[in-house]
Amino acid sequence: MTEAKRYKAGLISSLNPLGFNVERWSYAIHRATGVILVGYLMAHIFETLQLSGGAGAWANTMNALHSLGPLEMVGLWIVAGSALYHGANGIRLILNEVFGKLMGKPILPVYPYSPTSLGRDQRIAVWTVTLVVLALWIWAGLYLLAGLGVV
Amino acid sequence: MEKVNVDVVRTGGKHACYELKYRKGMTVLDALIEIREKQDSTLAFRHSCRMGICGSCGMTINGLPGLACHTQVSELKTDTVRLEPMHNMAVVRDLVVDILPFFDLHRSVKPYLMRKNIAERDSSDREYRMLQEEVGKFLQFDYCIICGLCYAACPTAALDPAYTGPQAITQAFRYMADPRDEGWKERIELLDTSHGVWRCHAAGACSFVCPKDVDPAKAIQMARVEVLKRRVLGKKGKEGSRLITVTAPAAPKEGTKPPPFDFPQGGRGGE
Repeated sequence: MTEAKRYKAGLISSLNPLGFNVERWSYAIHRATGVILVGYLMAHIFETLQLSGGAGAWANTMNALHSLGPLEMVGLWIVAGSALYHGANGIRLILNEVFGKLMGKPILPVYPYSPTSLGRDQRIAVWTVTLVVLALWIWAGLYLLAGLGVV
Repeated sequence: MEKVNVDVVRTGGKHACYELKYRKGMTVLDALIEIREKQDSTLAFRHSCRMGICGSCGMTINGLPGLACHTQVSELKTDTVRLEPMHNMAVVRDLVVDILPFFDLHRSVKPYLMRKNIAERDSSDREYRMLQEEVGKFLQFDYCIICGLCYAACPTAALDPAYTGPQAITQAFRYMADPRDEGWKERIELLDTSHGVWRCHAAGACSFVCPKDVDPAKAIQMARVEVLKRRVLGKKGKEGSRLITVTAPAAPKEGTKPPPFDFPQGGRGGE
């Protein structure tokens, strides 16, 4: 299919889950958190690379990071949330995609339709992932705030 | 609700708004037909059966892909209906999209029974028989009306125009699961590519919008498991199925009836 002139094809449309099922929201969040993690990985490699410039260069880099103040912690908190969501949702996707679990078996469709691949098992998995990640993310936030001496 | 406002995104992105009187049971397609008959004869949209069978009237209704004939105005819970062409397809005019590239994807997976014995296939004088439980393995996927809604909803298709797409992968799996078919190897090689089953990220939007509960998301994951089994375990698929041990008849002479096939008798299909 040619890319030219396709109506509303592209990244924005791909990441817009408005009106769709929770799995599509999960897809959008999974992609966004993946991009955040790649960005963090690149920054982390750059940061560690400074060690090759000696102890002084490393200290300068760390000082520059710490000078961001609370923003550094907010950044780390976002990275922690991304890692948690990407990892936990990744396990659900492995169950789906590698083992074919949570999808149900072929059925004879009976109106009103309710696709089994988006059925009870899948919903439980999606909401379990969401709630567990939220709980851990809040805990990570408190841990980071404790590091700042706030709590 | 007494009046309905229909906001149509027309060619070039221009919006056209129409107001019409609401009737109980009015579908989006009814509204469009009334607009074309009474207000604007230039409005272009595609439709045919008006009963959710032909799959012609696919469009984006209030942000979601749907069949216009299958969507009641009242179920939208708003008095403004916003209509756009289906996403991920080129617009021909107004709400009419170029569906031919989508059909090409469908054709690319060879959506028909493939048999090794051409003579037997071409001169068949009786049907291939199956057990009811064998039919149950693919019947759901056979209800596809090729409307394109799943393709329009797919976030992967939005990014990758070469992606085989949920509809075509579902049809490939429908034939892979069919005990009469012998094209398992050819189809699985078509699916085992970077633009095939591996491109799907299980967003499930295809199944969410499917008007026939074909559940493409399920078919794609089942196809992917088959691909994985082949890759990891070296599984060869169902070549050598019970039903393909049909003796090929000699080519019939001109003007004569071909001899019957030597189907196994008894214990099949309730005999």
